[in-house]
Amino acid sequence: MNHPHAIHCPGITRRSFLADTGMGFTGLVLGSMLFRDGVRAESPAAAWQPPTGAPHFTPRAKSVIWIFLCGGVSHVESFDVKPELTKYAGKSISETPYAGVVATEGKDVIGANPAHGNRKVIMPLQTGYRAYGECGLVVGDWFRHIGTCADDLAVVRSLWTIHNDHGAQLTWQTGRHPRELEHPTLGAWTAYGLGTLNENLPEYVVLGVPTGDCCGGAFTHGAAYLGPQHGGVRLNTDPKNPLPFIRPPEGALTAEEQAANLSLLGKLNRLAGIDYPDDQNLRARIKAYELAYQMQTSIPETMQLDREPEHIRRLYGLDQDHTKAFGEQCLVARRLVERGVRFVQLFHGGGGGGAWDAHGDIKNNHTTLAAQVDQPIAGLLKDLKQRGLLDDTLVVFGTEFGRSPGAEGTGRDHHPQAFCAWLAGGGVKGGAHYGQTDELGFHAAENRRYVTDIHATVLHQLGLDSRRLEVPGRKRLDLDHGELIREVVS
Amino acid sequence: MNPRASFTGWLLTIGLLLGAFRGDATPANKAALERHYDRFLARPLARCTTCHQPSPNKFPESLGEFPHNPFGDRLRRLGEELQAAGQKRDLSTRLATLAAEDTDADGVANEAELLLGHNPGAAQDKPAAGELAQLKDRQTEFAQFLAGYRWQPFEPVKRPEVPSIANPKSEIKNPIDAFLAAEWAAHGLKPRPEASREVLLRRVYLDLIGLNPTPAEQRAFLEDTAPDAYERLVDRLLDDPRHAERWARHWMDVWRYSDWAGWTDGGQIRDSQRHIWRWRDWIVESLNADKPYDRMVTEMLAADELAPEDPDALRATGFLVRNYKMLSREQWLEDTVKHTSQALLGVTMGCAKCHDHMADPISQREYYALRAVFEPHQVRTDRVPGELDLAKDGLPRAYDATNAPTYVFVRGDERHPLTNEVIAPAVPALLGGRLDVQPINLPWLAGNPDQRDFVIRDTLAASAQSVTAAKAAWDKGRSETNVVPAKLREAELALDVAEKKHAALVAVIAAERLTLPGSRRREEADHSTALRLVTSAATNAVLLQRTAAIAEAALKRHQAQTALAAATTNKLTEAQKKLTEADQQLAAAVEALAKPLDSAFTPRPATACPTNSTGRRLAFARWLTEPRNSLTARVAVNHVWLRHFGRGLVPTPADFGRNGRPATNPQLLDWLAAEFMQPELADRRSEIGKDDSNPSPISDSRTPSAWSFRHLHRLLVTSAAYRMASTPDDANLAADPDNIRLWRMNSRRLEAEAVRDNVLHAAGTLDGTLGGPEIDHQQALTSPRRSLYLRHAAEKQAEFLQIFDGPAVTECYERRPSVMPQQALALNNSELALKQARVLAARLVQEAAANDARLVELAFQRILARQPTAAERELCAGLFEPAPVSADLAEKHFARAAENLVLVLFNHNDFVTVR
Repeated sequence: MNHPHAIHCPGITRRSFLADTGMGFTGLVLGSMLFRDGVRAESPAAAWQPPTGAPHFTPRAKSVIWIFLCGGVSHVESFDVKPELTKYAGKSISETPYAGVVATEGKDVIGANPAHGNRKVIMPLQTGYRAYGECGLVVGDWFRHIGTCADDLAVVRSLWTIHNDHGAQLTWQTGRHPRELEHPTLGAWTAYGLGTLNENLPEYVVLGVPTGDCCGGAFTHGAAYLGPQHGGVRLNTDPKNPLPFIRPPEGALTAEEQAANLSLLGKLNRLAGIDYPDDQNLRARIKAYELAYQMQTSIPETMQLDREPEHIRRLYGLDQDHTKAFGEQCLVARRLVERGVRFVQLFHGGGGGGAWDAHGDIKNNHTTLAAQVDQPIAGLLKDLKQRGLLDDTLVVFGTEFGRSPGAEGTGRDHHPQAFCAWLAGGGVKGGAHYGQTDELGFHAAENRRYVTDIHATVLHQLGLDSRRLEVPGRKRLDLDHGELIREVVS
Repeated sequence: MNPRASFTGWLLTIGLLLGAFRGDATPANKAALERHYDRFLARPLARCTTCHQPSPNKFPESLGEFPHNPFGDRLRRLGEELQAAGQKRDLSTRLATLAAEDTDADGVANEAELLLGHNPGAAQDKPAAGELAQLKDRQTEFAQFLAGYRWQPFEPVKRPEVPSIANPKSEIKNPIDAFLAAEWAAHGLKPRPEASREVLLRRVYLDLIGLNPTPAEQRAFLEDTAPDAYERLVDRLLDDPRHAERWARHWMDVWRYSDWAGWTDGGQIRDSQRHIWRWRDWIVESLNADKPYDRMVTEMLAADELAPEDPDALRATGFLVRNYKMLSREQWLEDTVKHTSQALLGVTMGCAKCHDHMADPISQREYYALRAVFEPHQVRTDRVPGELDLAKDGLPRAYDATNAPTYVFVRGDERHPLTNEVIAPAVPALLGGRLDVQPINLPWLAGNPDQRDFVIRDTLAASAQSVTAAKAAWDKGRSETNVVPAKLREAELALDVAEKKHAALVAVIAAERLTLPGSRRREEADHSTALRLVTSAATNAVLLQRTAAIAEAALKRHQAQTALAAATTNKLTEAQKKLTEADQQLAAAVEALAKPLDSAFTPRPATACPTNSTGRRLAFARWLTEPRNSLTARVAVNHVWLRHFGRGLVPTPADFGRNGRPATNPQLLDWLAAEFMQPELADRRSEIGKDDSNPSPISDSRTPSAWSFRHLHRLLVTSAAYRMASTPDDANLAADPDNIRLWRMNSRRLEAEAVRDNVLHAAGTLDGTLGGPEIDHQQALTSPRRSLYLRHAAEKQAEFLQIFDGPAVTECYERRPSVMPQQALALNNSELALKQARVLAARLVQEAAANDARLVELAFQRILARQPTAAERELCAGLFEPAPVSADLAEKHFARAAENLVLVLFNHNDFVTVR
């Protein structure tokens, strides 16, 4: 079966099924046809209704660009720079004045390998750093372009996560430990809660190579029990081949025929689904067909990056080999939110455990990878800002965990006890720095926050209350809902 | 302080360096403690300090610094005693043994303390009098829990009693239904009624052969009113070779089938091997013959040791060959260990490469002991009859080639092996049993496959063929009037070369047959006769090889001379130099002939491999397929269940350990595993023989054979559970929204291959050819062959299939079907869908003879395997209106409407959904 977590929506009856799947008048006509077919009477409708797409309160953002770097980016050399590491390089943590920082070591982490995140011999910083902007945000030199946007960023430096291996990539998306397998991602909640602003494009788009199967795979952009119609749709950024089978071969089918076929198909699918009113896959398929029909024209149009002026293309780094791939993803992301896509999930370094997983030679690893994303992300922020799009587009930069202050040879190990992320735009307080790790970046020391607090903050900016989105029979925990980080929103 | 992480970090290091305490004091022990007491273990006790004293040192470096408390110490000593006595010493056993003991002498027994949330190893931590009052209830509950049926995947399978259901509320067709009915009753669920015959027919066709029933098959079944019509249908489908193809694809997922990847033009095969399709054919043929699963597994792991001279069986080792990685032997062996464990045992060994397993009690050392099973093996390609060129055809297979030692790698890093100890092959203690490794002497030909008769025959035939070709070229030259004399002379010399080389080859083969070990004549002849024979054959070979060398040198000289004559001024010097060289070579060849004859002929180039094998893999396969192996049958049965019911009884089919999910109905899974290994339930096939209209090709026997997939499939699909409707029920949905207790059949989406196959099948264009070399994946939209024959490898996958969530090349233990707009585009716009729609529409137009109502009906039958409802007929009729006035146009309009109807139905939700 497609979805082990098929949603249970009490009161999804035959009639409401037709209404839910977008059949207004046609639904009535089909309804009368069904009665002729001898379909049984309906059971009474229950009180619960799925979301209407209206926000629960005034939103500050309409769309989200959710950037995810796979493998674990070093927090101590990016947005939570720790000069003390250079000072005490080569010493064991217990030999420094900060021996106490490991006292609560491992707290809350349900891990795989206890060595992960517990390296004790301090490794010096592998890159330089400097302060940027009026807010004076200190940023590692690997991210010098993003540094120039410092006054637009709200950095959260006190994050922790629950798993110490790359399954934490799934945790970042769903809030749950990877052992718990499939749960709705933040993107799915957004799509489910708000619906679309543009019927011609998916609500939730995935760009880049997602997390490998070891560490969440398709679950990292899935909708679980919310139904696959709310899951992320993967697109290529290659303008020559944005979607396979994007249109029928020349002369095979007229536009009128396509439209007539689609209309007939929609009715037939709704009729055939009448005995399976709880079938989320059918609902998703009906939507997928309507969307696919529109995407035949909307996607090639969206992917026409050569229509962008040269200075914009350069801004995203499309003119350089090393920044081109991610630059295209960022530029496509802007074009998607411009056209009303709710949630764009950008993966970088996906597949396997993730490219950023620098157990060895972190200097080389992070230098190379950061160079691929730094300028494109900065370009995206600047471009959104100059177009006024940053006001209602929330950009989030995240990874699954930090990297250990202690050395693992020439690399840094996984570090779930502390890591950082930043938010920008969409009503976020630019220049805010929230939370603090200890001097070595070992633990989130002040205002410790869990992954879902970022989720809660994003949903809050979108005008959604996750508790009001809850589905009957699918009890969520307090930890799933998270808490708004009020200090980073204006 | 929380010493857990630091302690285990310490353990990791110390375990590596000293090899001490492994498997005893790992987080896996904590996991075992939690598993034993389950929800009855108070949360504060699920930590290291239940068995250890708090350490004064934050980072204890040894057990001395993080000593056991009395309880932990008692557990450890008991473990040593049990081990010395050769008894079971898993933590669960030890906890049960010490339950009533009061180790910390605080007046409360260990188990009582654990149940009440107090440390059994600390006298000062004991329950207050008030708490003791609850003890009795807790103990009763816990006793009930222990007495209940428990999921114990690492314990050998014991056949559970089939529940007897008094006054069953639903039909009990076989024990599966009884096990499920017990669950339904316990959870107040009402099973769904049997699905309609149309739905059931399509379901069982798709599940068993992967194709829809044809209209004729639909009619035959719907008209068959005999009470056993369904059972007979199932038997017929199980005997259908297409059933083997269907299930071969499933097992190809689990066993990670992959064609070669890399670049053939550069000769770089990076992953897997050429001609690995022979393994795929072995899978299909084995399933078709209902080869027992234990035999299949043994052949896949060790056919080269089990049946070294049976090329059919050797194909099975494609299971190992598939892991070949040109760029890294390390990755190759890592994949082999990891995926053999996951696919066949449902155990995740991968973690233990770098450190002791954190969830299951498997040590890092045990990982390397399992690796040692595979360490000696290598891959090679043997010749197959009729083709000498291994690039064109051959048999890729595994064999033991190296005696590389296995070492533990520090943190899994091959740059840091612990070379002070060679690790011997063994299986993890957790899984029970041991390997009985016996080295194997192979038949001489198994190591020298090019000495097989057919290779010699093929070699001689190819050589004779080149003589014939050279003769024909010379004859052709002679018959032409204005032939250039130098060309004619070249052809003559070339013929001479071919003849003399052929003669030399015949002589070499004759000599080899006498001299090589394994030659019968050599063994039979008495010593002096043999010696004489051998010497004379060898000297003859030398003579003929020298003669052939002269002919070759003469030809080269002639060619050099011709080139010189034709050379332009600037090439003269070079051409002259070449001629001089050729002259020298000819002179040398002539001189060589004049030398006294010896017996040192140049042998044929031939593969020479060891003629012994370590026997490690065969021992592993034997261990794996012993009925007392707790996992092999459970894992296989679960895979089959998953593919019939949409979800495994263990929801994580590749992880039966602590990181996976427990079985949702452990009794049922255990019963099925027992029945799979040692069938007791009589097969109803014996009744079939009586039906003359349906003669069975398989002999009838009341007792099915052990490890028979066919028996297992029959059990599953003839159960009442399998026949249930997949429609919802509000009360059941509220109680069990995920259908964990299987109160209805799960709706499923067809796998990618089945989507494509059924498009072709509906159009009547599916090519039923079985087996053979893989089809280029780029022909996926045009080839009429079944999808399992399409090339599938890294960077070589059919896009159409990937859009429908085709298998990942690296691993695919379970398909995860999605619903995506891309799928709509593929089924609407692809050449495959459009072309097949036209083909089918043309057929339907003929059959329906301008009757649109009839055409709609036929289209539904062909594509969705059912009749349209009245509403559907009405909606579809719209496509055919309004009819144009002229007859000519009307015909075209009708045909076009038919094409559109077919295309719409290919895109119908019901086409890709199994209800």
